[in-house]
Amino acid sequence: MPIITVNGKSVHIQELNKGATETIVLVHGMFSNLSVYYFNIAPLLATKYHVVLYDLKSHGMSEKALEGYDLESMTNDLFALMEVLNLQKVHLGGYSFGGLIALKMAIRFPERINKLAIIEAPDPNDDKTRGIIDEYSREFLEHYVENFTDTTKVKMGKRQMERNHRMYEYLFYQTSIKTDMELEKDFFGSPAIETIKQSTLLLYGTDSNCLNAGKHLDGMIKNASLIAIPGDHNIPIQQPLVIAEALLNFFQEI
Amino acid sequence: MDTITTKLSSEEIFNLMKQFITEVIGEEFVEEMDITPESSFTKDLEMDSIEIVSFSEKIKAHFGEQIDFTGWLSSMDLDQLINLNLGMIISYIEECQS
Repeated sequence: MPIITVNGKSVHIQELNKGATETIVLVHGMFSNLSVYYFNIAPLLATKYHVVLYDLKSHGMSEKALEGYDLESMTNDLFALMEVLNLQKVHLGGYSFGGLIALKMAIRFPERINKLAIIEAPDPNDDKTRGIIDEYSREFLEHYVENFTDTTKVKMGKRQMERNHRMYEYLFYQTSIKTDMELEKDFFGSPAIETIKQSTLLLYGTDSNCLNAGKHLDGMIKNASLIAIPGDHNIPIQQPLVIAEALLNFFQEI
Repeated sequence: MDTITTKLSSEEIFNLMKQFITEVIGEEFVEEMDITPESSFTKDLEMDSIEIVSFSEKIKAHFGEQIDFTGWLSSMDLDQLINLNLGMIISYIEECQS
């Protein structure tokens, strides 16, 4: 299990096809982990590219952190990770909250980011989006126990439920994640979004609550193109190969 | 990393898989389980996605380039992944060794 130290914290990373000349870094969403890419999306991209996946702080197998969930801190972490791995310029992809991190990276460090792929990044000012954290805390466990986990489509057993419950309890009640997210609510209204010059692919689900956020970004980012894919917010899990192929085509386009 | 080239029997592969599972989910949980080749990862062993990543990494570290475990997994759809059991992995590793 590759663990590296970034900004004094242990970070779980996975690298595929290290020998390739160009690198793609993929950022997962909140309450998820790098496995959202590991099984289907990353292996396909790794047929052509060096692919780097990492677990965000307090997620997956990365070290916990009480603070620093705002986009400034999250992009500081990613920038430091790129330094540690000696990645000068990368293609960057992000899903959901990871998409917001990817956008912020392109704004803050444009010289380090080649192409940008945003999957289902929500508008932090949208009522539904802002409610997601509360909804998660209220309904997540019961909903997931009754239905499916995010990536395995299987009812959770006792051990899994306890693990997830511990993570949620920790993130919601011990870290600054809720207040940090609240501070980002004007992000999509910020003129900084319009400064993004990178060629940008926006992938959104046709039935997703976030589709309007994708349309909004499409209007704000000059070199953006929006592709709507059948599914909802969970398109990377529902349509991993469609997503992987769309990403591969996009990164390969000259 | 240890990379071995000797051919393992299916029983040896099974025992190795059990060792990896124990390392990933912890001995205290494994003691309560009856791990067999029919055990499925998600339903019977209750492994979640990040634990299956750890398990995959252990297989890759052990067998090296002898097998393309992630490539094999990536060819499966969601239902196949959910129903993945130890016996299927044992068969796959045996095939790669032959």
